[in-house]
Amino acid sequence: MASLDALLDPVLDAAYGLALRLTRDRADAEDLVQDAVLQALKGFGTFDQQLPFKPWFFRVLVNCYRGRHRKSTREVATLPLEDASELYLFERTAGLGWHGGPDDPAVTFMDRMTAEAVGAALDALPESYRVVAVLYFYQDLSYAAIAEQLGIPVGTVRSRLHRARAMLQRRLWQIAEESGLIDRAAAGGES
Amino acid sequence: MAPDRYTCEEAFRRLDDYVDRELSAAEQQRVAVHLETCAMCAEEYVFEASLLRMVRERLARIAAPASLRARVAALLADR
Repeated sequence: MASLDALLDPVLDAAYGLALRLTRDRADAEDLVQDAVLQALKGFGTFDQQLPFKPWFFRVLVNCYRGRHRKSTREVATLPLEDASELYLFERTAGLGWHGGPDDPAVTFMDRMTAEAVGAALDALPESYRVVAVLYFYQDLSYAAIAEQLGIPVGTVRSRLHRARAMLQRRLWQIAEESGLIDRAAAGGES
Repeated sequence: MAPDRYTCEEAFRRLDDYVDRELSAAEQQRVAVHLETCAMCAEEYVFEASLLRMVRERLARIAAPASLRARVAALLADR
């Protein structure tokens, strides 16, 4: 039977990443992971070791986040709720002439983006969209499982996630332009 | 267009759910059939799927700081 120490070690980086995206603050993220470890210590006896540990621990972490978030009214500035087209980056990269060649244009674009830039783009989404998107990107869960974790209807997860992905594409493009990773003139100067 | 095949618009409306395997088996199959026969929609699908995979891959590159690892080690040692 594996110890909690042994199970935690390989998932700690991902747990911190999830916590960082949920809290958008390094110190808060560390505190959140610490809370989750404390809760995991208390509930470890209920964990079925036949099942994978990471989803169980992430669920504990998300519950801790939801508990903390209910106590906090802090809200930071986010993107206005302007929708981008669903194929925003497809259309923009096509405008750069990246399509039709041997390279995958999505990979060409993302190769220019750092982990920090992608995190910043996710952080900029409005709260309710951001949390659904964070759970989607960090956990390999169905819409139904995300809905169950957040206590919201599946249809709400679906609609928020679809809009979040469109907004995320728009923000990624803006970051790429602002950082000089994309030639504004070649891209038509739109952001 | 045969009724069991999606148009581009019908397939496009389901693209996000298709990427996430959130459609019914019948819908998933209909989108797959459309993508086999429509190069433009297939290109859009490959782009979206690649983009999501790359976003996940980038986000996974963030490492826990040493300070957190130390805090967790201390918590586990104290139990």
